[in-house]
Amino acid sequence: MNVTPYIAFARIAFLKILAYRLRYYTGIVTYMVNVSVYYFIWKALYRGKESLGEFTFEEMITYVSVGFIIRTFYFNNIDREIANDILLGHIAAKMTRPVNYQWMNIAQAAGESFFRLFMFTVPTALAILVVFPLRAPASPYSALAFLAALLFSFMVFAALNFLVGTCAVYLHSILGLIRAKYFLVEILSGLLIPISFFPDALAEISRWLPFQLISFTPLMIYMGKFQGEQLVTSFLLGLGWTLVLVGLGHWFWRKAATKLTVQGG
Amino acid sequence: MALIEVSKVSKRFKTYDRKEGVWGGIQNLFRRNPREVRAVDDVSFTVDAGEMVGYIGANGAGKSTTIKMLTGILVPSSGSIRANGYVPYRDRHQYTRGIGVVFGQRTQLWWDIAVVESFQLLKRIYDVSDRDFEEQLEIFDAVLNLKPLLYTPVRKLSLGERMRCDLAAAFLHRPRIVFLDEPTIGLDVVAKENIRQFLKRINAELQVTVVLTTHDLSDIEELCRRVLIIDRGHLLFDGSLEGLRERFECKSQIVFELREPGQVDFGRLGFNSSVEFQQLDALRCQAVFDKKQVASAELIKSIVNSLAVRDVTLDDTTIEEIVREIYSRGEVVPS
Repeated sequence: MNVTPYIAFARIAFLKILAYRLRYYTGIVTYMVNVSVYYFIWKALYRGKESLGEFTFEEMITYVSVGFIIRTFYFNNIDREIANDILLGHIAAKMTRPVNYQWMNIAQAAGESFFRLFMFTVPTALAILVVFPLRAPASPYSALAFLAALLFSFMVFAALNFLVGTCAVYLHSILGLIRAKYFLVEILSGLLIPISFFPDALAEISRWLPFQLISFTPLMIYMGKFQGEQLVTSFLLGLGWTLVLVGLGHWFWRKAATKLTVQGG
Repeated sequence: MALIEVSKVSKRFKTYDRKEGVWGGIQNLFRRNPREVRAVDDVSFTVDAGEMVGYIGANGAGKSTTIKMLTGILVPSSGSIRANGYVPYRDRHQYTRGIGVVFGQRTQLWWDIAVVESFQLLKRIYDVSDRDFEEQLEIFDAVLNLKPLLYTPVRKLSLGERMRCDLAAAFLHRPRIVFLDEPTIGLDVVAKENIRQFLKRINAELQVTVVLTTHDLSDIEELCRRVLIIDRGHLLFDGSLEGLRERFECKSQIVFELREPGQVDFGRLGFNSSVEFQQLDALRCQAVFDKKQVASAELIKSIVNSLAVRDVTLDDTTIEEIVREIYSRGEVVPS
């Protein structure tokens, strides 16, 4: 596969974000508000307690804050964009280009994420650090493993979104599906509550699902709670699920593309 | 050899009829009424390399569906298409390298960013060398006057400007075939002319094969030697513009104005039933006739000699009228 066009797509996505300044500024404020809300919720829950489960209050605040900080990096709207392409008929023009539609979408999301990393993730992290007491990564070794785990969280999130977006070929309007997936991912990824707080059965299932790779796994690595063998397992799981979800997306899109009807005109 | 071969192609869609009203809406939740629509029905034609073909039809006739099958977006329900040596939908990746597409109703450029960025992206997608890229831009700039537009975001361009950029984008990678779906829709006269000039030059100089759909028949008259007419999914006519005229232009009409108001006795002119006369009002009369049977010069001579007339105007059937006739009849009547 020739990668030049995909790098070009990433670049275009980067430029597109820059075109809208207001959206950029409001984004940072939104994340500040999110973290603040969870700070106070957890503060109330920890009242009079040293720790909940395996987390001290300080660890919990770190968990939640870093969770939202990395969300500024891995987040994308591939599902919404595909739904728009199909609903508004833009898909027609995109299909007449000699590029792979799945990788085009992932490349654009990567361009956005790369942009966000510098313009969003770092400023948000700094803003949150000023207000809330965060812990540093457990060790330089954890820090490196954490960064590597972020690649999987991006890929899993992107591949999932592509799968959901592709459903639009059959269902046309998938706003409901997108919302459902949004909440499912927020819960099952461990963004809102660490997976270890789930009821036992659900926690056990979640340990093998792809969602935890988005948020819970990198956070546990950051805090040094995943080490050694557990670290290796989570990387293998990350690699495995990435391959499976991307492969599934590839197969699903090929099938869906033959069923395509183009709306309007 | 034919560059595009379409044989016995049909495209069927399933749509669902919706019942009206609240109760109907509730029924729709549980039961849907599928109905099959044949957008394109058993259409065959070929296009040779270097040709510029006009594909016309009323709204919903099946033009765009055909174009979408030719560009590999839609899969035919039956029949086969080969273009430039490929099966469009199956070999989409290789096939699309050699084609250019413009959908007049929406832009292929990236909406929020400067035009030149879109061109740069296309350059990388199609692997166009720096030299070719510069060269192509120069050629396009000469006809389309692109340079002043390059650094403007697409959303700030006027429709005419946008279309100029879209056209340039479609030809940037020197495709062998270009499909234009209503390239002049919504444009003013000047912009239309601009685009026609461009297409003429590109077709002549670069030997690009062009298939274009349009509602504006003057596009066809200016650009295409050959025309395909589709209506309700069926191909009604395939041939030259002259052929179309010859086949359908049965009726011409002469309108003449009398010097003084009065009743005219048309029998005096001596054309019997071959010319249909009609008095429009006290001053004006109309004669409808078939050019193949009656020479217009003869008729005019006779009118001028036998009647006191002030003015004579001759109207030939335009392509537009022929097509309107075809659409309303929905079939080709053999002549």
